[in-house]
Amino acid sequence: MPERVDDPVLRSAKREGLVVLAAWLAAMTYTVGYCYLHGYGRTAESLTFVFGFPDWVFWGIVAPWLVCVAFSFYFGATFVRDEDLGEELPEQEDELGLGGG
Amino acid sequence: MIRVAHPVLAVSASEPSVGYGALAALIVFIAASMWIGLLANKAMQSGTFMKGFFLGNRGLGAWALALTATVQSGGTFMGFPSLVYTHGWIVALWIAGYMVVPITGFGVLGKRMAQLSRRTGAITVPDLFRARFNSPALGLAASLFIMFYMAFMMVAQFKSGALVMKLAWPSSGTLALSEDAPAFELTTQKLHELDIPAEAAGKLTALVDQRFSTIDEAKATLAELLTKDELDRHWAKILVAGQPIDWLFYIGLGIFTVTVVGYTLLGGFLAAVWTDLFQSVMMLIGVLVLFVLAVSLAGGMEAATRDAVANTSSDFAFGPGYDPKHEGRAYLPLGLAFSFFWVWVYAGLSSPAGMVRVMAGKSTEVIRKSIYLLSGYNLLIYLPLVVICVCGRALIPDLPPGKTDEIIPRLALLTTAKLTGGSFIAGLILAAPFGAVMATVSSYLVVLASGLVRDVYQRFINPEAGTHELRRLSYLAMVIVGAVAVAANIRPVDYLQAIVVFSGTGASATFCVPALMLAFWRRTTVAGMLAAMIGGTGTMVTLYALGIAGLGEETLIGPVTKFHPYFLLGIDPLLWGLSVSFAAGILVSLCTRPPDESLVSRLFDAEQNIESPSS
Repeated sequence: MPERVDDPVLRSAKREGLVVLAAWLAAMTYTVGYCYLHGYGRTAESLTFVFGFPDWVFWGIVAPWLVCVAFSFYFGATFVRDEDLGEELPEQEDELGLGGG
Repeated sequence: MIRVAHPVLAVSASEPSVGYGALAALIVFIAASMWIGLLANKAMQSGTFMKGFFLGNRGLGAWALALTATVQSGGTFMGFPSLVYTHGWIVALWIAGYMVVPITGFGVLGKRMAQLSRRTGAITVPDLFRARFNSPALGLAASLFIMFYMAFMMVAQFKSGALVMKLAWPSSGTLALSEDAPAFELTTQKLHELDIPAEAAGKLTALVDQRFSTIDEAKATLAELLTKDELDRHWAKILVAGQPIDWLFYIGLGIFTVTVVGYTLLGGFLAAVWTDLFQSVMMLIGVLVLFVLAVSLAGGMEAATRDAVANTSSDFAFGPGYDPKHEGRAYLPLGLAFSFFWVWVYAGLSSPAGMVRVMAGKSTEVIRKSIYLLSGYNLLIYLPLVVICVCGRALIPDLPPGKTDEIIPRLALLTTAKLTGGSFIAGLILAAPFGAVMATVSSYLVVLASGLVRDVYQRFINPEAGTHELRRLSYLAMVIVGAVAVAANIRPVDYLQAIVVFSGTGASATFCVPALMLAFWRRTTVAGMLAAMIGGTGTMVTLYALGIAGLGEETLIGPVTKFHPYFLLGIDPLLWGLSVSFAAGILVSLCTRPPDESLVSRLFDAEQNIESPSS
């Protein structure tokens, strides 16, 4: 019996899924952490603006959002591997005989 | 005694012609959607009816997948703006999870779902559940859960669509923004029908037949007549009794329903996706145009924030958010801010309507391109929307609580009132929320109809049904779903966003863990899948039931709505739902007999290792 080898799509999907999980954790930790430390319970007098946004919104949300867009481009354009998704199961082989046509 | 919040509002209120151009733009929009439905109808003729009508013959390209697979809904353009208007800048943190939604939505499950659905020949999500485990019962359970959550979402979406149509109706700008039609008037008959104690009802006789231009004004008068306790207890009933029947809302509901059900009937899944793509582009244009108009009318983003703060309090600019009722409510405390980074990500990752679109993707190249296309798109939609609604608070400071859902349509009418051709521009902006709602409803119609016809009728009632019968039943199912959604809106629901959130997070708590187990864990069993789904749904429904019933500790967090969950330990129910679903799925799978190895091997092993590929 040959040694079991995972399907290549399964292997790459696992690898990419782990990277995505790390990106989500990093974005959540930074954004929620920064906003909580700098955007909660302040007074109107302390309000300053960066490019029209309240300071904490710009550094806590707008800036990481831009980083995420850049990372998404890198991830989608170069990290994710193209794979053959395989042949479609022909409809006549469906055990319920769905096809209709 | 007209209460006008902003000078420009008076201009828009006195120009009934505003509505004609807006209506013209919406009619063009509706006609375009119908035309796309016809094109889709021709395009799907190439394959079999079921795969063409419900899955578009697996031919989606990157733009179609990116801009249609995740949620821009009525919630995006009605509920979400209402939250920004009510609570302020903190809602930017509430929605911030969308920065990673494109990468999580396509990067985790995308490839595997597309692959598994091909290998099993699955057309719907329940199809995939059934085929992966060779278990018709599991497919049926998945289908029933999907229909349960989508029913909630549909009701909310139909209200959104009707609202936009109503506001675009000729002279409805006047109706909505002036006191020509009273916002509140309690007639003698309505007072008799009011189900409140006689003592309180007696005090209301002084109010009979008085016309109030705003709800706030009526409430202030009521506060003088009733005790605080009586007012708190009976306000909701008195409000319903005092609001005149809104015929424009019902006309809007009718037109919306005929349009969206019509084009979805014509072209099925492809019509839903193509019109969704067209509407997504319209939404982007609408948001960007409104962004420019609203920011310039407000005198810049900084001025808008300062004015909004002046109209509310400094809490509008900071966390945990502005509390309009001054009752000590924290809209987004730390626990909820953390929770919503889960909510959007996992709701997007395992939304049944999203999963079926990934299954329809043409190739892995399409899936990976979708990641960065959607990423740019989300950035251009959500942050500008927050800014627009902050400007809304500066420009229209005193929308009453029940009307805050209308902030985007009202801003569209307000900001274009003085422009040449402004009416048509307003129509184009109004088309953005209208498009969002139509797109969502259309895709859910397809999923619900496929659930009823494919997963229930064809699988369990009549497996021998022919194409003609399936086609007829699919059409009938869509019409029935539309009719039910209209019936549920005879008395429109309050707080769109709360219902959208329940539906999205409930489906996520039910399907996220099972979808991950199905795709990545060989040891998953049918019992484990069922346990994960029941555990997720059970937890969500229990926590919402506790919150709505007012049981448990009053936490005073989250939005002001009766449709709210019980926030156990200050955390959103989704996290509890996912935790229970995860624990139940793993434990029950490990405690039950492992699945048939040949079944698993066909979907998990590299082809050269599979001993019996025809299993």
